[in-house]
Amino acid sequence: MDHEPPPETPTICCRSNFVFIDRVAMEPMDIVGRTKEDASLPKATMTKIIKEMLPPDVRVARDAQDLIIECCVEFINLISSESNEVCNKEEKRTIAPEHVLKALQDLGFGEYVEEVYAAYEQHKLETVDTVKTGKWSNVAEMTEEQALAEQQRMFAEARARMNGGATVPKQPDPEPQGPQPPQPSLNT
Amino acid sequence: MKRPGTYSGILSGGISGRTGPHLLPLARIKKIMKKSNDDVKMITGEAPIVFSKACELFIEEITKRAWNITLQGKRRTLCKEDVASAVITTDIFDFLVNLVSDSAKSEESQLTTKA
Repeated sequence: MDHEPPPETPTICCRSNFVFIDRVAMEPMDIVGRTKEDASLPKATMTKIIKEMLPPDVRVARDAQDLIIECCVEFINLISSESNEVCNKEEKRTIAPEHVLKALQDLGFGEYVEEVYAAYEQHKLETVDTVKTGKWSNVAEMTEEQALAEQQRMFAEARARMNGGATVPKQPDPEPQGPQPPQPSLNT
Repeated sequence: MKRPGTYSGILSGGISGRTGPHLLPLARIKKIMKKSNDDVKMITGEAPIVFSKACELFIEEITKRAWNITLQGKRRTLCKEDVASAVITTDIFDFLVNLVSDSAKSEESQLTTKA
């Protein structure tokens, strides 16, 4: 009997609960009812997040960590379902961030909305093509604060790109610089 | 895939005080979303990002509430029961009540089988 591979790209799952047939992780039709083990969040990452929230000398029992992870997965399930409902009501076919934010609001997690939205906006800024050269003059659409923040961000990214090599000297001068910030001299 | 620079994480961390942009793997989140509901259609690429942040906030809330309970008990180790209590005492965590009581029940049954 042939097993049809799942339509999406098969992924190699690191959890041993999945059944592998021909290196393809089987969708858990055969693991009916084991909802909490189906797809979970990486333990190490979760542990790190949990520990960051607490004072450094605090210990977290292993079973407590596991429970928090399960709760988080359940949270995603809940918000997903609600987002799906919101999406349906708007007669859209794709779940978009706006639907998720509305879902959070509807389910009582309205306090999260502001921060989540801010993080989303930040992400949008960061993934827009950041090689905006020589556009510091005539940036009439930005306020001074925004321009300054944008500048800081770009310098920071330039620093990050040079990480490991020579560092870019700080340039607080907001005048247009030209294509690249001046490289440290490597003349012999 | 373009990753935000190290320092931009610090810039964005000013809001929540946390470093690092997206700690949770977006692919995993997407997988959970798809499994949550057979009816789920397509998901934009940005939706998992929103989820990632929401999860962080959720973890923060549940961890801190559980930790308060640990402190009330004058302990330094956060244990499962603290998490369960945090869930039970928080209205918006009602959807988790079954989950925590299930795990409590399975623990109980393990204890009774051992006896």
